[in-house]
Amino acid sequence: MNYPVWNVPILGSGLVVAIIAIIHILISHLAVGGGAFLAVAEWWASRQADPERIRAFLRKFVTYFLVYTTVFGATTGVGIWFSIQLANPEATSLLIHQFVFAWATEWVTFIGELTVLYFYYYGWHTNSRRMQLVLAILYFVIAWFSLFIINGILTFMLTPGGWTLENRDIVAGFFNPGYWPALFIRTLVMLTLAGLFGFVVATRVDDDLKERIIGFAARFVVPAALLMPLFAAWYWFSLPVETHTMWHNGIVGVAGGRLEAITRYSWLAAITGGLIVIGTLIIAWKPRATTTTAAIALLATAQLSMLGGEFFREMARKPFVIRGVLYSNGLWKAPSKAPVALDQPYFESTRWEPDHATPGSAAHGEWIYRLQCASCHTLDGYRSLAARTAQWTPGFGDRFLQNLNQQGVMPPFQGNSQDRAALVAYLISLHGKPVAAAEVEATLAKEAKP
Amino acid sequence: MDERFAPVPPEAEESLPPPGTLVGQGLRALLRRYPIWPVVAFFGKKRVPEHRDTGWYALGGIAMLFFAIQVVTGILLMVYYRPSQPWQSVQRIVTEVPYGALIRSVHHWSANLMALALFVHLFSTFFMKAYRPPRELTWLTGLGLFGLVLFFSFSGYLLPWDDLSFFATRVGIAEMEKAPLLGPWMADLLRGGADVTVDTIGRFYVFHVTVLPLLVIALLGVHLLFIQLQGVSEPDHFAALPGEKKRYRSFFGEFLVGEIPIWLFLWGVVLALAAMLPRGLALEADVTAAAPVGIKPEWYFLAPYQALKLFPGRLELVGMAMMGLAAGSLLVVPFIDRATPSDARGRLVAWLGAAGLVGLIVMTVWGLLS
Repeated sequence: MNYPVWNVPILGSGLVVAIIAIIHILISHLAVGGGAFLAVAEWWASRQADPERIRAFLRKFVTYFLVYTTVFGATTGVGIWFSIQLANPEATSLLIHQFVFAWATEWVTFIGELTVLYFYYYGWHTNSRRMQLVLAILYFVIAWFSLFIINGILTFMLTPGGWTLENRDIVAGFFNPGYWPALFIRTLVMLTLAGLFGFVVATRVDDDLKERIIGFAARFVVPAALLMPLFAAWYWFSLPVETHTMWHNGIVGVAGGRLEAITRYSWLAAITGGLIVIGTLIIAWKPRATTTTAAIALLATAQLSMLGGEFFREMARKPFVIRGVLYSNGLWKAPSKAPVALDQPYFESTRWEPDHATPGSAAHGEWIYRLQCASCHTLDGYRSLAARTAQWTPGFGDRFLQNLNQQGVMPPFQGNSQDRAALVAYLISLHGKPVAAAEVEATLAKEAKP
Repeated sequence: MDERFAPVPPEAEESLPPPGTLVGQGLRALLRRYPIWPVVAFFGKKRVPEHRDTGWYALGGIAMLFFAIQVVTGILLMVYYRPSQPWQSVQRIVTEVPYGALIRSVHHWSANLMALALFVHLFSTFFMKAYRPPRELTWLTGLGLFGLVLFFSFSGYLLPWDDLSFFATRVGIAEMEKAPLLGPWMADLLRGGADVTVDTIGRFYVFHVTVLPLLVIALLGVHLLFIQLQGVSEPDHFAALPGEKKRYRSFFGEFLVGEIPIWLFLWGVVLALAAMLPRGLALEADVTAAAPVGIKPEWYFLAPYQALKLFPGRLELVGMAMMGLAAGSLLVVPFIDRATPSDARGRLVAWLGAAGLVGLIVMTVWGLLS
């Protein structure tokens, strides 16, 4: 059960986390891939006839890179912590407690990454070229190691593998079935982003150098993009069978085109991925025609692709935040943690009981909405409940709540018949005509009699 | 030399890939059979001036990209859409046809973005004064295309025949009916009777999938031909530069190729919008019911709709006249503001245009919020 809830109108708390996270993911992947780019480019520069011109480009690259990754990377990273603990304290707590050492390591790598990058940047004129190369490689290794860590925790949420609440086997949870394919996919994404970022900076230099740099940067994108389908297939087969079913159901728009989000996001990721390859080939074909706007557009396309991929991963976990363990709205799957049968009066099992939510009142329904629905839905914004319940009758609503988890995309309803009636009354009242819980109960009683 | 074949012109020899390559050989073989090099050269000479406002030249191409998406997704939707069972067939598209809901959402979002791109295109060409002589007809064909696209949106909006589309169309045509002289006649012509019925669907469907596409393609061809013949318009600050300081990019070789990544991104945006905010389908239109509260037209019709509310009762005619005047002024602007470089009258027109744009935005936002 969640604590006093974070009520975000229109967007919903989940989407707020997603918006912050999607920006962070672009930056953090670029931060790692950019390290590889710097290291290879340092080596490449030393083998060219005009190393100083290329280093002048690299200087430009690393200036943008440093500002972009440290400022936006750090603020959005903290933003994720700030928002997830408000949106889902139960899951945040579990992840912190299970992976204490991993988190500690993560923060050490973060500090190490920044330190090395500052040494690289501020030692530009004083360090030897060899030292710069070593620093660039070191930066990449440390940054990639932070992916190595965080990837374990992220994939754990979707495929916890051999980890259970009882055995708490963190090695099995960390190196779970999704771990390796996701690690490869993310590494390829990083290299792609580094190349695309290289295009952007290349459009800011002279034409002949621009041509060479674009050719160099394209070598980061094309091989990674070609390998991607292979690892995507591996990842797909590591996913639970329920996810596959959900995806197949999404091909046709079940329930008025609302339940197939996972399928739509997978296509968004795949098609935009293809668009990046096409765009890269065109830029590499006509480097001089490439404008900064065009290069930024391609980087923004990568952002859309990552949005598709990450949303797919989030949807694949439905209805859980930690698959098979903890539902998205903070309900534990195993009764051992919350030994209350689901059909008891709901507020007896919540950690925090709103004192004005007297049974049958409008506040009663509203608080059930806030505690059980609001982690995914809003009233009339993103995943709007008003739209989803537009055609509800008391009888339909009551049956819907009783079978809430039948389709496999929502958690079971927690609470007794009185709680259900309160929520149904609250949701039906969203459509302009207020209905009291007592009226819903009366209707249901009438329908029950043959 | 075999007389059955035409010679390859020397300019073509310079531009084509070497004759030893497969492509070079193939293109030469084609040119000997179909001597179209003058046509290629005609298109090849198009160039784009490079200056601080070059980015705005991309808008027309962007609108065409969305139009292309509309054609493809529209054809796919036509496979399952039945004008005799409008709502049922759309319901089938979104609940049974594989990817039907996705295709429909893409069609919806691309339509909105096309209208948006055209608004920006219209105003950017206005403020760059591309309408001045000798480009009056390019401007007028552009306005014609804009009108056709608005009619496209209006006719397509009704086709799903749900509560929203039915009542919005009924309200829209009722407004039109109030216009003096031709108003009632046009309203009857569109509706096919005194009220919006299934017969209206037939008319709108025919407009949407045959009449309007043919008109748009024809007029678009003329619009593009005019630009090809006269070259891209140059704003005053660029035209005033001495010849050696003017820089150009070739249209097909550089500008267009440089635009492709932007198109790819916009195609991604359409997909992302369709994925995140799929177009819903409301209940089947109930023609006997009262209009649902808060029904209003789509955003691109909101400004006139909101503005008309300021003229209650019999004043409505005054409001309509003022709007007619505003729209009419766009038609006559190339004949009023003719001086290059701009004179005092030209600057006044620009300020009036800016006031019009601000008014349009204010009315639209007001309409969205109210």
